[in-house]
Amino acid sequence: MHLKYESQLREPLVYGDKTYHQVTEDIIRPIEAKPTKLWYVGFYISVALLMFGVYSVYREVTYGIGQWNLNKTIGWGWDITNFVWWVGIGHAGTLISAILLLFRQGWRTGVNRAAEAMTIFAVMCAGQFPIFHMGRVWMAFFVLPYPNSRGPLWVNFNSPLLWDVFAISTYFTVSLLFWYSGLLPDFATVRDRAKTKLRKLLYGMAAFGWTGSTKHWQRHESLSLVLAGLSTPLVLSVHTIVSFDFATSVIPGWHTTIFPPYFVAGAIFSGFAMVQTLMLMVRHIFNLKDYITIGHIEAMNKVIVLTGSIVGIAYITELFMGWYSQNKYEAYTFMYSRAYLFSPYGWSYWGMMACNVLSPQIFWFRKMRRNVFVTFFMSIIVNIGMWFERFVIIVTSLYRDYLPSSWSVYYSPTIWEIGFYAGTFGLFFTCFFLFSKYFPVIAVAEIKYVLKTTGENYKADMKKQEVMKADEFAHEYAH
Amino acid sequence: MEHNKPWQSFGELTNSEAYQKSVKDEFKEDLPFENADNGFLQAATPRRDFLKYVGFSTAAAAIAASCEVPVKKAIPFANKPEEVVPGVANYYATTYVQDGDVVSVIAKVRDGRPIKLEGNDVCPVTAGGTSARVQASVLDLYDTARIRFPLMDGKESTFEAVDKAVAASLSSGAVIVTSTINSPTTKEVVAQFLAKYPGSRHVTYDAISYSGILQANAATYGKQAIPNYRFDNAKAIVSISADFLGTWLNHVEYAKQYAKGKKIDEKNPTMSKHIAFETVASLTGGNADDRFLYKPSQTAAVVKALYAAVTGGTVTGIEDTKLKEGIEKAAKALLAAKGAALVVAGSNDTNVQIVVNGINEALQAGGNTIDWSAPLQIRQGVDSDFAKLVDEMNAGAVRTIFFYGANPAYTWYDAEKFKAGLAKTSMSVSFNWKEDETTQLCKVAIPDHHFLESWGDAEVKAGYISLLQPTIYPLFKTRQFQDTLLKWSGSAVDYVTYLKNYWSTKLGGITAWDEALQTGVIVPASATLAGASFNSAAVATALGALSASKAGKYELVLYQKVGLAAGHGANNPWLQELPDPVTKATWDNYIIVSPTLAKSLLKIDLTNGGQADAYETQPAKKVVKLTSNGKSISLPVLIIPGTEANTVGIAVGYGRTEKYGRASAGVGKNAYVLSQLINGNIAFESTDVQLELQAETYKVGLTQTHNTYDTEQGNRTEVMKEMTFAAYKHNPAEIREERDKELKPWGGLEKFESQGTIYPVYDRPGVKWGMSIDLNACNGCGACVVACNAENNVAVVGKSEVVRGHEMHWLRIDRYYSGSLENPKVVFQPLMCQHCDNAPCENVCPVAATNHSSEGINQMTYNRCIGTRYCANNCPYKVRRFNWADYNGSDSFADNQKSILDDSVMMMNDDLTRMVLNPDVTVRARGVIEKCSFCFQRLQEGKLKAKKESRPLETGKDGKWDLQVACQQACAADAIVFGNANDKHSAITMHRTTNGNRLFSSLEMLHVLPNVTYLAKVRNTFDEGTHHTAEKPKAPAAAH
Repeated sequence: MHLKYESQLREPLVYGDKTYHQVTEDIIRPIEAKPTKLWYVGFYISVALLMFGVYSVYREVTYGIGQWNLNKTIGWGWDITNFVWWVGIGHAGTLISAILLLFRQGWRTGVNRAAEAMTIFAVMCAGQFPIFHMGRVWMAFFVLPYPNSRGPLWVNFNSPLLWDVFAISTYFTVSLLFWYSGLLPDFATVRDRAKTKLRKLLYGMAAFGWTGSTKHWQRHESLSLVLAGLSTPLVLSVHTIVSFDFATSVIPGWHTTIFPPYFVAGAIFSGFAMVQTLMLMVRHIFNLKDYITIGHIEAMNKVIVLTGSIVGIAYITELFMGWYSQNKYEAYTFMYSRAYLFSPYGWSYWGMMACNVLSPQIFWFRKMRRNVFVTFFMSIIVNIGMWFERFVIIVTSLYRDYLPSSWSVYYSPTIWEIGFYAGTFGLFFTCFFLFSKYFPVIAVAEIKYVLKTTGENYKADMKKQEVMKADEFAHEYAH
Repeated sequence: MEHNKPWQSFGELTNSEAYQKSVKDEFKEDLPFENADNGFLQAATPRRDFLKYVGFSTAAAAIAASCEVPVKKAIPFANKPEEVVPGVANYYATTYVQDGDVVSVIAKVRDGRPIKLEGNDVCPVTAGGTSARVQASVLDLYDTARIRFPLMDGKESTFEAVDKAVAASLSSGAVIVTSTINSPTTKEVVAQFLAKYPGSRHVTYDAISYSGILQANAATYGKQAIPNYRFDNAKAIVSISADFLGTWLNHVEYAKQYAKGKKIDEKNPTMSKHIAFETVASLTGGNADDRFLYKPSQTAAVVKALYAAVTGGTVTGIEDTKLKEGIEKAAKALLAAKGAALVVAGSNDTNVQIVVNGINEALQAGGNTIDWSAPLQIRQGVDSDFAKLVDEMNAGAVRTIFFYGANPAYTWYDAEKFKAGLAKTSMSVSFNWKEDETTQLCKVAIPDHHFLESWGDAEVKAGYISLLQPTIYPLFKTRQFQDTLLKWSGSAVDYVTYLKNYWSTKLGGITAWDEALQTGVIVPASATLAGASFNSAAVATALGALSASKAGKYELVLYQKVGLAAGHGANNPWLQELPDPVTKATWDNYIIVSPTLAKSLLKIDLTNGGQADAYETQPAKKVVKLTSNGKSISLPVLIIPGTEANTVGIAVGYGRTEKYGRASAGVGKNAYVLSQLINGNIAFESTDVQLELQAETYKVGLTQTHNTYDTEQGNRTEVMKEMTFAAYKHNPAEIREERDKELKPWGGLEKFESQGTIYPVYDRPGVKWGMSIDLNACNGCGACVVACNAENNVAVVGKSEVVRGHEMHWLRIDRYYSGSLENPKVVFQPLMCQHCDNAPCENVCPVAATNHSSEGINQMTYNRCIGTRYCANNCPYKVRRFNWADYNGSDSFADNQKSILDDSVMMMNDDLTRMVLNPDVTVRARGVIEKCSFCFQRLQEGKLKAKKESRPLETGKDGKWDLQVACQQACAADAIVFGNANDKHSAITMHRTTNGNRLFSSLEMLHVLPNVTYLAKVRNTFDEGTHHTAEKPKAPAAAH
């Protein structure tokens, strides 16, 4: 499966001349060790945020959507902004695992596991919003097309919101399967190394009886390819369908054919930024700098500057069309509500422009691409910018649409609206901290494929053993 | 060929036993059943047993879980009352009476509860018209703050006890203070009482006084009365601060008459011309063809100048060139329509009204537009009488005093003096039905019935009687005022008998009385217009007496709002939440200022886009302290174009006492204290006030914040179409041509329906409901909005929710300005769900909760709705309303809205108030979308009616109606037409086909195919220009 050519000019994908054993040791040891203090601090903060989110949602469900500051004109605000934002973030994982797998991009192995985990957690967070933005969340099951006793009553297949239901649930299912199937060999590794009964039992169950037989590997590889093939169109389709929520409507600023590619590019953009944020933290906290290398960071920064520029072109195209269409409603939305800095929400448009289009241009410089601090800072900036993008699309289109009589008062969120968003951060990071503690954060098996280890290394290693006395050898390799 | 098979191991070659085993076991293991206990598999009926256990446990769980379901009792009629069929409404003709106002109505009574009032079509005065206040008055019946039993010294008492207490103090007579009484029998009852107790007298006191007109008419016509104004006969109308469409005198009648003059017959277009001279923006000024602004201190100068101009003189004493030009033009228009011209003024200054009478006389209005054949009876109070009484009270000359309908402790300009006088009386009795400011100070309160519980009669004009009959048994221990007086007068009969006897005698028999009661009105045989002799000398005297009043830097005008009027509607949440037609504000009073004053005083420049945006998007408004004659009041400020530059306006009727009710408590401030007594009459203005900007801000609940449809990116003429009458006469088809141009990219007007879409076009056979609204007739009064609230159980959300844009109105009236910022033209557009045939809301609902009926109705299925609000977002008209909280108290979490919503919402959810709910309409739960249903329940009822009679449905053919929707029925101006658009003879089809030139749909180019159409607004202005857009100079950047 891995008959790839390795260039002598390229940097190695894993630093430090690791042996297979070292790889296993480096990645699995944190699972077996006690978490660090830093981990506890992060975990508790995340759980606290999650609890605040749970309370915010409790208020909203008990007292009504009126707990938020939405109104007769602005029916969606922070809720759907956050939904689209999280879904966008959930794009990088599958892109990295699926598309890069198909393109044989070896560097993906260093980051794919965590990126996929991030995808799954992000989609989980995203899913909260369309569910809890419903006025009657207890009736949410109405969106499922199940046989019922209500006569011919069925879901409305014309509704983009229903397409969302299918798109998101499919994406979540496939991503989860993909992630989990990749985890099997690594769980087996943890199981095999386990020194406590409980760990052996739990990881044993999680490993689904993986023995590492050739047949297992062969099936595993086939499954990976099949799932990669399935996921690849999903990467494009999910955000395309999310963009249909807006593109198929009649509202100026939403009714735009450019949305599908623009949304997908934006999603990859924000997804990679989020991967950067997390990876930079993981490699620091778990000391995995040899596996998540500067090369990885640079590669992802290249994707960021590319997709950021695509998004920038989309913004400018929209503006151009706003003028070129000679449609006064479109023109008002684009030229006034958005592009005019001193209009009520002008700040959000220019915030978006600054964060998404201007600042990523810094990555044209190699030095900047390879600078960890600049990358970390930019990854945050990009995600702020992408949040603004969704806010701009949703709120600045809605708040002043066709009838000037219905133009809205200024919309700013209530504490519970913010709390819901903060809560999804809590959910995300709680999951992520648990993941980083209990799961191999780097695909151990996969990274071994790309390990640049040769006979020379082996020989060098063997040389030591050859001159070793028998009892020394026995002592050294006893465990 | 077997030996050619490649082999991998010796085992495979020899096919050893061990090898066979390993091959067998590599991929599969046998099912584990081999080792299982055979007993299980061989049990006789394991599956059946299992099912039994499952069945039993499920049933047990179900029974256990259903134990605590509350038992709700519905008690059927053991003996069904005659004439009451459950689910079928009874209708009774009765009359809305309120301080002299009289509107004949039909009360809809369901299961013994009056739930809706409709105008009585038989009444020749209002002819089926109603106002917002009439529509809302049914809710007053269920007001939680009504006095529920007689009170003595503020404590519960009995009728016997209060009768005894009052009887003891009647020896020296009593002063009866009432608002205008126009009931013939009540007048007799009062007279009887006065005769029985010598020394008694009756003083009429009107909160909003018209004593200026009464006295002027006494001087010029020799009659202290108010004539019939005939706006329908007037070709030219000049109103000088008289809000005759909203609040002035018999405004429901005037609205109907005015609309007649404004409706255009396409074949023979004529239109009345209305010029308004105004101080602060009013509903009437907004409807005027031309409006000119003046200061309150200029009132005398304006009427004098107008008098001079119509009598052939020159306009002098007016410095403002625009105003001067306006007066000259108005005079010219009036003279051109001599004999069909009318001038009305709202001033309460006798001399001003005398000069206005002089103008009308010069225009030969008498017998044409001013009719003296049957004078209007609805206002009779003279302020000086009451002022004299207050003096007497303070002098200790009044021992016993009664109040009926009058509330001087709240409305009198010098309320403190009145209160001091009241304290000096030994016995004070209030018959008011609410614990209002005066009643609270009285020793005894004997609450009166609500008019829907009362018997009675009302004479709106001489000879025009409207009868009252109870529609419900009195809810509380109340007693009708007339009954009390009769009792105290020692009469043997009660008021019902009295009334019956009186009218039976007059009409000639009990049958005639029954018939009159059934129709609700008694109408004189025929009426011819009559003039009256005129005393010109009085005009000369008045002209001499009128001098310009001293003007300060800022001037103040007190006005009434359409909803609250003098303040009676203050505890009516429907009226409080009705957006004021002029300001679009709810739940508060405020200071109205002009854009010019806003710039200098508030530092808000509406021509500056950023400042205009900030003003519009923030509900928190700046607060200004106004001081007039040493009295101060701090209120938020709203910038309302159409207000004179340095004049400010404040609405009366707010700032009620806590006890007036939960909806009125803490809302606004009382502005009556700023009125003055000048020359014996109350002046609702002050020509010298000081304004001082305060540091704080105050949130005002506005339902509309942006008021022009012109943007820098283009004029949104697809939203609204208006033009001048000159342009219309020049090219009647202009609107049609404009629509054709707008739709050109999609096949033009003719082919738009099929070419504007890629989908096939369907036939729409059978009934197809449609609505058409004549924007020329609509004056924006808001009666339809309240009618819709009442008919469709539209929730009240309270101020805090309106501020957040959460109001639930299914029908709103959009108000747009065009033209200059200081004095714009105004157009009102009633907007409800447009029931689009190609509705954008329908295809986006994931659960198909909103869908299209075969009759063209965009339906909402509340129990299917999950509340994604996608439909509301995708509605270009933004008419969909979401239940943000549990406004109706229908949640399964009991009382969970208590800390969330205003007390006024709690009041609406009181068991008493809930009696007003229409049982035919679902009360919507939290979390679902709702919107106009075209009164679906009425359509069903109408269709059933036709079906039962085996005939086609009638919607307006030859004036026959099987059904009318609530807004249509409420409209005094008959602006709304509704019916079956597939019926060639229905009113809606006729309306659309005969007005093809002015017809349009809002946002037609979206191809949503609305079933609501409008007729373009046409203004008979002085403005030059033939094209309708020529009258709109470019609006400043995103201003107002």
